[in-house]
Amino acid sequence: MAFFSRRRKKTGPADAKPNTRDSGQGSKKQIAQSLLLSPDLDENLRFLKQSFADCSDVVFREFLFAQREQIKLALVYVDGLTNKSQLSDQVMRALSLEIPAATDNTVITKANALHYVKMRGLCIHQVKETENLQEAVEAILSGDSILLVDGHATAVINGSRGWEARSIEESQTQGVVRGPRESFVETLRTNTSLVRRKIKNKDLKIESLTLGEVTRTDIAVAYIKGIVNEDLVTEVKQRLTRIKIDGILESGYIEELIRDNPLSMFPTVGHTDRPDRVAANLLEGRVAIFVDGTPMVLTVPHFFVEAIQTPEDYYEQALFTSFVRLLRIGSLLIALTLPSLYVAIISFHQEMLPTPLLLSIAAQREAVPFPVFVEALLMEIAFEIIREAGIRLPRQVGQAISIVAALIVGQAAVQAGLVAGATIIVVALTAMASFVVYYSGSLAFRLLRFPLMFLAASFGLFGLIAGLIVIVVHMTSLRSFGVPYLAPIGPLVPGDLKDSIVRAPWWAMIKRPHLVGQNNPVREASGMRPKPPQTTAQKGGDADAGRRQN
Amino acid sequence: MIKKTLCLLLILCLLLPLGGCWSRQELGDLAIVLAAGLDSAPDGKIMLTVQLARPSAFGGGDNGQRAAGPQQNNVWVVSQTGDTVYDAQRYLEAKVSRELYWGHTMLLVLGEQIAREGIRKAFNFFSRAPDTRETIWVLVSRGAASEVLNSHSQLENTSAQGVGAMVRSGVGVPVMMKDLSMMLASKGTNPVLPRIELTASGTPQGPGMKENIPQAQTEPSHGTHTHAELTITGTGVFNDDRLVGWLGMMESRGMLWLRDEIEKGEITIPSLTEPGKHLSIRIDRGTTEVEPYYDGQNIWFDVKMRMDGELWEQQSMEKITEPQIFAALEKSLALRIEEKSRAVLEKTQQVFGVDIFGFGDAWHRKYPNEWPALKDRWDEEFKTADVHITVEAKIRRTGLTTNRISQEE
Repeated sequence: MAFFSRRRKKTGPADAKPNTRDSGQGSKKQIAQSLLLSPDLDENLRFLKQSFADCSDVVFREFLFAQREQIKLALVYVDGLTNKSQLSDQVMRALSLEIPAATDNTVITKANALHYVKMRGLCIHQVKETENLQEAVEAILSGDSILLVDGHATAVINGSRGWEARSIEESQTQGVVRGPRESFVETLRTNTSLVRRKIKNKDLKIESLTLGEVTRTDIAVAYIKGIVNEDLVTEVKQRLTRIKIDGILESGYIEELIRDNPLSMFPTVGHTDRPDRVAANLLEGRVAIFVDGTPMVLTVPHFFVEAIQTPEDYYEQALFTSFVRLLRIGSLLIALTLPSLYVAIISFHQEMLPTPLLLSIAAQREAVPFPVFVEALLMEIAFEIIREAGIRLPRQVGQAISIVAALIVGQAAVQAGLVAGATIIVVALTAMASFVVYYSGSLAFRLLRFPLMFLAASFGLFGLIAGLIVIVVHMTSLRSFGVPYLAPIGPLVPGDLKDSIVRAPWWAMIKRPHLVGQNNPVREASGMRPKPPQTTAQKGGDADAGRRQN
Repeated sequence: MIKKTLCLLLILCLLLPLGGCWSRQELGDLAIVLAAGLDSAPDGKIMLTVQLARPSAFGGGDNGQRAAGPQQNNVWVVSQTGDTVYDAQRYLEAKVSRELYWGHTMLLVLGEQIAREGIRKAFNFFSRAPDTRETIWVLVSRGAASEVLNSHSQLENTSAQGVGAMVRSGVGVPVMMKDLSMMLASKGTNPVLPRIELTASGTPQGPGMKENIPQAQTEPSHGTHTHAELTITGTGVFNDDRLVGWLGMMESRGMLWLRDEIEKGEITIPSLTEPGKHLSIRIDRGTTEVEPYYDGQNIWFDVKMRMDGELWEQQSMEKITEPQIFAALEKSLALRIEEKSRAVLEKTQQVFGVDIFGFGDAWHRKYPNEWPALKDRWDEEFKTADVHITVEAKIRRTGLTTNRISQEE
């Protein structure tokens, strides 16, 4: 546990000692432990300069204490990661020029210099001390500056982080019409602050740890104490501490390293760049994992139904949301099965089409030289190429490419008689349907389309149904942090169906999702359904109570 | 372990192509049979005529210019004789480059000749082969089925679709393959089939749309100007599986009343006050209940008909707001229905001597124990049975006006 608490607590020597429970970290910590700061400033500086040899962005600034020039001070920081005006103003100026004389006539000597520096001199909000060189080095690397005082084997870590960062923008991956626009950025602290702004509660816990042997990436695990299942937090932390990797550049690294069923196509770890979605997940009893350097925050456990849920669902009226959710399910089914259904029916089960439709399709296909499977496969692949090109190509040529793609695939292919119009319609509808649910949620279906098409072309509807059965069996076997992936549909959790393929109004969703929020199931008072005030004197009090709640 | 699983998976993958896409038929390899006709051929053979869709003439997809050009014949009608239907079909494969596909066959037309000789031997193929549907409309043609099929529809893509739509809308007696099988199987009823023939209907709408109708052949100048459409002109009455006679259009309506198959339609009654003028009532709902009676000797039936209608046309000037006039109209309406039904009933009893109304089935249901003794001579019993028809007709609405607008107050 010491590993986790290092940043949170003021680290004293007792805390930093190797912990028997944390045997995995033991050997490394011991090396770090052996390198304690020395009381001699020059020696410390020598060590640091040696550590940061050839690091041109590390700045060593030595200066003298105001009025007590025998006391030497040194400031070490990384240029570009620190707020320089803050450093020069609130550290250097304060210490070298303006430190006031002590009022109780105590003389500032080398011996109590550290105390004065910390308690009176520094005008920095976040300050902590360390005697560990390794920790000092890490603090420097993560943007803090350290202040070394001659004669003291302690480094003062100033929270002076400040670097160029992207400002908070509108979510690019999960836009909404109604609802907050902001999305996460690449800075961990900004991201946690966005969530803290939404959940102003001391029970929102944000624990930190560092992963990546080389990158030393900051990770934060957030949950709401009292709602979350403590075992889940323990499990998440346990899985995180298992990770030994050189670098973590995006939360996807962590997702793949901690997820259940690592080879499954279905995402059993959710991710979002929307603070409101993270806040909602936390309120339902989930755990969020923030990773420095990416706007994508992981949430666990993750259900399949979350693929068809958007934050907007909870802001827009319930009936409309229910309709849209049914639409999304239909779209998922279309994205998964429409091409294979088309192939199966056209090449095996022509009797299933109405006669006029069959004649119309037969007329379109009269000139097409390929079997329908080859035709559909070619068009699907062509569309995947266009889609991939659309993501990768430079913005400036985007329009040109889309015109060419629409002309070539849409019109020229049909006019040349290479592809039937019906196939284009099927492929286009499939493509559009796969965009209705959010991007990562539809990836599995995008991929599974192809094996289903093979099955449909080989065995007709029989093959298609067999393929779907395999997919459903696989999905029911999935778990996300111990919770069935298909919940609340399989296993059936009747109470949670209110917020699955439909959404009940807020006054009816009294309980949190059972499988994640059973620790603290009730999230709102019951009987909040708005109703007109009851006028009879007898019930007057109740009506008032109802109004107040509303 | 993983290696073993992978090997197993690979072997299983090899099984996939072994299936070889069994029974896969590309659309382009199919000759879609829209209608089939059966005629009797010399030496007891059967002549099968199929109306095949020609997809290239349908002008689907982006081929707008094709539709604008001269109209092509979008069906191909081809005949072949054989000992059985299937035999003929196999010989047809030598004439047709694609495989005959029966899944979308809508019509089965039985030629008059083969209908008179007996239809049992002809249509077994259609109820046995898995491709054909139970819901094929079965019709009987006046003249040869092969001539009837060689036709076009001005509104629908093919004449088969045109006739299918007409039959479905309840113009004649709608009989599907399954109904015909049941009527043939039952001793208590005899089959009826709607009769179709080609009748002159307007002028042809394109060079490919000329028809060979009998009148056109005898009168060459007529042929280029006359378009013929398949028309439902009545009902063929069968004694078991042999055609014994025809019912005209009006008699067919009466038959539909007695068979409780009236769906919609119109009844015209003479005006009560002004001779030579008529009123027309649209049928909203018509139901018929048949109650059989048996006293050990005599068989008689009470037939109760009920009708709800709506007055849609009035040539005469009587005030229908007068209750007694209204009641008289309703009475006249009931009388008209009874007349129609009675006419067809008498014709079947006296001329054809067959029960085509399912009275035998109704009797069977009520007297299951007495039925076995009677069933083989049911048609004889039916001929002499008394039928009491009572009709209760109501005019529920009178359209948008009550009295005529031009009527003096």
